[in-house]
Order: sequence, then C-alpha cells, then structure tokens
Amino acid sequence: METIRRLSVIIAMLLPIVAYGGRPVTSAFSIEAGASRISDTYLSPLPYHGWHTGLDYERFQAMRHNPERCIMRLNINATLDRTLNPAGNAAMWQAGVDASWAMMWRWTLRWTPGLRVAAGGMADLDAGALYLSRNGNNPVSARAAVTLGLTAMATWSTRIGRLPVTVRYQPSMPIIGACFSPAYGELYYEMALGNRSGLVHVAWPGNRFVIKNLLTADLRFGATALRIGYSGKFISGKINDIVTRYASHSVTVGVSGEWISLDPRGRNRSSTPDISAYY
Amino acid sequence: MRLPYLTIIALTTIASIALTACHDLPEMPDNPSDPASNFDQLWTILDEHYCFFAQKDVDWDEVYKLYSIRVSPEMSQEELFDVCAAMLDELQDGHTNLSAPFNTSYYRAWWSDYPQNYDQRLVEQHYFNFNYRSVGGIDYGMLPQNIGYVRYPSFSYAIGESNLDYVLAYCATASGLIIDIRDNGGGSMSNVGTLVSRFISTPTPAGYIMHKTGPGHDDFSEPFAYSYNPAAEGRIRWSKPVVVLVNRSTYSAANNFVSVMRQLPQVSIVGARTGGGSGMPFNSELSNGWGVRFSACSVLDTEGRSTEAGIDPSPGCAVDLDAMQALEGRDSMLDFAINLLLK
Repeated sequence: METIRRLSVIIAMLLPIVAYGGRPVTSAFSIEAGASRISDTYLSPLPYHGWHTGLDYERFQAMRHNPERCIMRLNINATLDRTLNPAGNAAMWQAGVDASWAMMWRWTLRWTPGLRVAAGGMADLDAGALYLSRNGNNPVSARAAVTLGLTAMATWSTRIGRLPVTVRYQPSMPIIGACFSPAYGELYYEMALGNRSGLVHVAWPGNRFVIKNLLTADLRFGATALRIGYSGKFISGKINDIVTRYASHSVTVGVSGEWISLDPRGRNRSSTPDISAYY
Repeated sequence: MRLPYLTIIALTTIASIALTACHDLPEMPDNPSDPASNFDQLWTILDEHYCFFAQKDVDWDEVYKLYSIRVSPEMSQEELFDVCAAMLDELQDGHTNLSAPFNTSYYRAWWSDYPQNYDQRLVEQHYFNFNYRSVGGIDYGMLPQNIGYVRYPSFSYAIGESNLDYVLAYCATASGLIIDIRDNGGGSMSNVGTLVSRFISTPTPAGYIMHKTGPGHDDFSEPFAYSYNPAAEGRIRWSKPVVVLVNRSTYSAANNFVSVMRQLPQVSIVGARTGGGSGMPFNSELSNGWGVRFSACSVLDTEGRSTEAGIDPSPGCAVDLDAMQALEGRDSMLDFAINLLLK
C-alpha cells in the first residue's frame, strides 16, 4: 500500500503541470503491449519476432502566445521488447526511450463539427539499444538520433450515448537530424579504444526512415478519461551497409485528464474561458 | 494553394517508402532448416565479414564451388554441419567456429601440428611442490633462484588491480619475473591492458586495429593506433627484467599481450612461436539456429604487421620442452627463462 501511495503521489505531481491563464494541461499516462519485429544486420542477418511493451507519457497545452491556434505536445515513450530468432534458440532484447516536443498549428474545420486538425514541427530524441546474448564481441547495437520532423494530429470529439469521446490520430515522422551508427564491422571495443571517427551521420528518410502512428480514443468519465488505442512505430535504416528494421504494433491503455493549477491568491487565473489543447 | 502542399506531402511519402525499399534485408528461406539455404547463408556471412581472405590467400568463390556441390536437400543436419565445418576449415582460423546443438567445429591444426611445450604438473610439482599462491586466476610464487613466477592461464579471468599489487609486492625482492602464458588461449583484451599497465611507466603504443567498412573483401578502415596507459599512481609497477614464457597455444588476447610486451626493453619472449589469432571475432547465425564465429577485425602490432600467424620468440630465445628432461622433473623452457634472468 505504501508503494501504491508513493506512486500515486508521483503521478499526481506529474499530471497537473502548472497551467496559467486558462490553458489547461492535458496529460496522459499509458501502457502499451503488443508485438514487434526486429532486424539489425550488425548483430544478425535474421529477423527476430516477439513481444513489445512500453510506458508512455504525453502532455498537451495551448501555447501562451497564441492559445487558440498554437499547441504544444511533449511525449516520452519508454519501450522494452524481447524477441526470438526463427529457430527460437536466441533472444534479442530492445530497450529504448523516445522523447519528442512538438509545436503545432491547429484549425477547427467549420463544416465538420468536433473535428480539429493540427500540424507542425517536432524535435525528437530517440535512443536505445539491442542486446543479443549469443554474440560474444558484438552483443550490442546502440541506437541514437536527434532529429527535427513533422507531426500532424486530427481529433474528433463526439459522444457515444451520453459519454463524451475524443478520437485522435497522430502520425509523426523525423525529417532531418543526426544519428549514430558504427562502421560496418567495427567493434564497440574499438570505439572504447578511442576511435570515434565516422560514428555520427546525417539522418534523413533515405537512410533512416521513421514513422510513428498513434490512434487513441479518450472515453471521458468526468474529470479523467480512459484512454485506449493503437500505437505503432516503424524504423527502417541503412547506414554503412548495416540494415536495421524495427516495427512494433501495440494496444495502449491509459488514463488522461485535463488539469489546471490555481494560484490560491487568484492572480494567475484568467477570466477568459479555458482553451484546451486537446479536447 | 492547397494542392501544392498536398502534392509535396504525397511525393515525400512515396519517396520515403521507395527509399525504404532500398534497405534490403537478407532473404530468409521458407524452410529455416533448408540445407542449401543455410550453406549459402554461412558462405555469405563469411564472404561479407571475414577479414583475412587476402592475407591467407583464400579464394572464397572457389571454396563455394568446392563445397556447395556436396550439399543436397536430403542431407541430415549433421551431414550439413560436416560440410560447413570443412568449408570453414579452409580458412585455417582458430577463431572461426560453427556451433550447432550437437557439435562445435574447431580448426585445431594451428596448435595440434606443433609440440605442446607445456606440462602444468611439471611446474606445480617439481618447482613448487604444489606450494604456490593463487589469486584471481593467477598462480604465483618465488623460485629458489630468487625469480618470481606468475602463471596466468587465461585472459578470460578478470585481473583485480589489488590482486596485482599483492602479486607484484610478493615478488618485489626477486631479481626478475617470469610470466608463464603457455596454453593461454586468450580472453578479454581489457585484461591485456590491465596486465601491461604494470610494466610501463608512460603511455605506450600497443598496436593498430582495423575493421571492415563494407562487404567487399578489401573494404577496410585505416588502421587506428591505440595505446595502453601505465597503472595509476599508487599501484605497484615492475621495471626489473621480465620473461614472457609462450608456446603455440598462446593465442588470441595472449598473443596480443606478447605483441605488446615484446617491444619493452626489459622483456624477453621465451619459448616457441605463439599461435596467433589476431582477428577479433564477430558472431552471427543461420536460420536453422546455428551460430558462427569468425575473425572480423584485424589487430596489428606496433609496426603495423599482422600477428595472425603467430609471434616468434626474442632472438636466441627459441626453446622447446625437452621430453627427456621432463621425465627427470625439469621444464627446459622454464629453466631457460630462469638462466636468462640470472645472467
């Protein structure tokens, strides 16, 4: 019980990020579970298949300078995969963190009530590693990329019976940045000896194509909502003749809510209506 | 104005998908155990990653012709293993193995065609009467001639800095030190650096390392020079004469240790030519679940020479184990090392 209490406090601290001037914060915590397929020719020429799981934190807020039109999104996604080779006698683990911050311009479409679209740019940091235990000197393949990209979002607020529901589809795609890759047959030991040349590359969709798709539905029960949905990530890359491929498909379940912090002295509370970035 | 934006987005999407199609992965067979496919996978892995084709003058295409005709759809997995193992033996490489649930192939001729030159019991019984110290994988003691003796059987055993301090402090009064790495088949290169650091006082060039930059047989990086640093201040370093005792089974990381130590002025290499094994191995696998290990990165000595074929003893220090003397309880190689340090 003590652990649950402490966890609740931590979540409560994270959820109501301070919002002033009628710009509530939409925060969501989700867990995801599904399947993944991984290939990395630095480790093995074989495709690996297995389970995928992850934790996701997402935060939306209208931006101060133009809250009607400008919204921002922070997303932190941590994943863990365990996959097997076709013979089932070797396991490859994947662990990674993908953090992005996006700023989007949004439109409310007059002819489709409840539908809002947004599009904009994002900055993304994706880091992680694959670990193949059967390999001796080359058991790990690291992944790291810092990119700028595009993201778009369509939300549709409707009702199922009396229950308010917000459905969202959001694709994201890095466009340009920098990423890490070892040389074709370079051991990490050689890097540890000091040979760091040629490890950083320009990343663009031709050598590192990434697309993330998120489809969620928030079933709003009062102040909080139950979030269910689909999350998919696809990476295909070829750098230094090393081909990597990663695809995950998962079901997400979480809790989301819209929160606003009030200054007890009342100085920061706007008299204008709240402008939600999400709902 | 909307149409151009939509066109750009559509073209970008199509171009990205088309570019992704260029990221080809190796094709996998419908039947993961198919003999011909697994043979081809093995040949291709070596073809694209092995680092010593040119040095060993191996025509890998000819090897394919020679062995692929021995593969048939009806053959058992064990029969396929034998054909694949024979193909790998063409590389004459102790770092190249095929691992299946029922067997691991191993090219043994690199040491089996040579005298073994080491009898562990001979030293333990007749020189120490089984009374020696052991710590962290190292056996050590003092010989009656006031010579320190350190036996390190494998670089797989992690060496603790404190352990090394105790070993060297115990031998501090000795006039010389023998490091016996006969039958040391290698292990971790980081242990090489740890041990070497006790015999140098300044950063010391250790050699070069080069890796494949692509699947072509001649696709190599420029050699990268690396060096070892002396042990930290406060650690015990050894500056008196040293003999490194080697045989043909001194291999891989142990071979690398010899290539670094032989350049130090106070060090002599005594014994027989080492086994080589200067290619740092990579691992890969076949669709039937077998693993393969092979030399992938070439480690060169400080003069840029490959030591894959082994390292000769210092001039005038080549000596084999005399079988007749061994019957009398004498290790002629160890005696040679002792006499060298007493001069």
